[in-house]
Amino acid sequence: MYNYVLYASSFSDEFYTCFIKDDRYKLLLGGIGVTIEVSLFAILLGLILGFLIALCNLSKIKALNVIGKIYTDVIRGTPAVTQLMIIYFVIFATINIPKWIICSIAFGINSGAYVSEIIRAGILSVDVGQTEAGRSLGLNAKQTMRSIIVPQAVTNIFPALCNEFITLIKETAIVGYVGLVDIQKAGDFIKSATYKAMFPLLGTFVIYFVMIKILTLLLGRLEERMRRSAQR
Amino acid sequence: MIRVEDLHKSFGSVDVLKGINENIESGEVVVVIGPSGSGKSTFLRCLNLLETPNSGRIFIDDVQINAPKVNVNKVRQKMGMVFQHFNLFPHLTVMENITLAPTMLGKFTKEEALEKGKSLLETVGLSDRADSYPSQLSGGQKQRIAIARALAMEPEIMLFDEPTSALDPEMVGEVLDVMRALAKSGMTMVVVTHEMGFAREVGNRVLFMDGGVILEQAEPNELFSHPREERTKQFLSKVL
Repeated sequence: MYNYVLYASSFSDEFYTCFIKDDRYKLLLGGIGVTIEVSLFAILLGLILGFLIALCNLSKIKALNVIGKIYTDVIRGTPAVTQLMIIYFVIFATINIPKWIICSIAFGINSGAYVSEIIRAGILSVDVGQTEAGRSLGLNAKQTMRSIIVPQAVTNIFPALCNEFITLIKETAIVGYVGLVDIQKAGDFIKSATYKAMFPLLGTFVIYFVMIKILTLLLGRLEERMRRSAQR
Repeated sequence: MIRVEDLHKSFGSVDVLKGINENIESGEVVVVIGPSGSGKSTFLRCLNLLETPNSGRIFIDDVQINAPKVNVNKVRQKMGMVFQHFNLFPHLTVMENITLAPTMLGKFTKEEALEKGKSLLETVGLSDRADSYPSQLSGGQKQRIAIARALAMEPEIMLFDEPTSALDPEMVGEVLDVMRALAKSGMTMVVVTHEMGFAREVGNRVLFMDGGVILEQAEPNELFSHPREERTKQFLSKVL
């Protein structure tokens, strides 16, 4: 019995040391802000880049195909952490802009490759008969793409795109490699300052999980609504 | 109205069309029959350049349409096409399916297109389905809407690519009725079909294709009763 009490009290002591003492929770809160900031900008950049690269890949111009292919090949063929470090320590080495922006750019470039493949697959998943129907009516390729293919592709693309966003958010946990203090790095700091591993890591774990869970629920609801309006 | 000279088309190493020569007059209803793989759909799809011919020339009203610098989109606006699998736009209502092209291409204003759409829906007997989505329609209804959609551009020629092949048997009649009425109204039609009854009743001329060429052609009663070629006899004995 005594042991348990001792155990419980050391538990709460440890909790106190890790999160309350010296306002350590603020470190984690700051980390949450950084993770959200980096993810949000990276998602936006990834969407824009992905869309452009998808256009390149679907284009009839050979040179654009090659550019798109090289881009997706290189990005998908190397680890995100290596890309991040090259962008931070080599490309932006002498340029003075905030760390989180550099990280956002790195993750945006990374995500763009995956998003472009998702968009490309989504557009190709629309039955070729739809294009033929549009063209047979006299619409040109652009009009057909815009008013017939893209609206149908969006519904197909959405679930895969949500997946990509979630992967991206979790992937940002490597920004500590270039010294940006996100959730993961904040947990690390607490761990080294307190010599305690369990609570900082569990805290990091729970924060990521809750964040992603909330996002999944929101996106799931959005997807449901899209599917309903697409199927009417 | 349509003149085809020595049309060749191959897919990779497979020669699908091996020299088609054909004249189709304004107001004619030409029915194309033949075994599968004979090239009849490819021939039809070459007429509005959904397939690009490898060689040969296609003229519409004496203008060569497969020449360089011809605006293919303008050419297609004069030719409606109806597909085996309807290819309605699933994200648009029936009325939007019909009015999309005419309004987008500036042929009609929004109001004119709506008026036109209403009268077309009446023609195909589906006035009550203007606000439905394609997924809510039966196959026969979908195909009638597809015909209305093509007609909304007021084409001079209508191409039908096996329009009843994907339908349940009891829905074939309603689609053929619409096509029959269209033929009576004087529309120039090229119809690829397996409906021999329709070919006999509505066609002015039947082309029998096999192996990438038009093997034999005649007015329907002649072709069905007295086929000249052995291959035609064989085919007809199987389908009639």
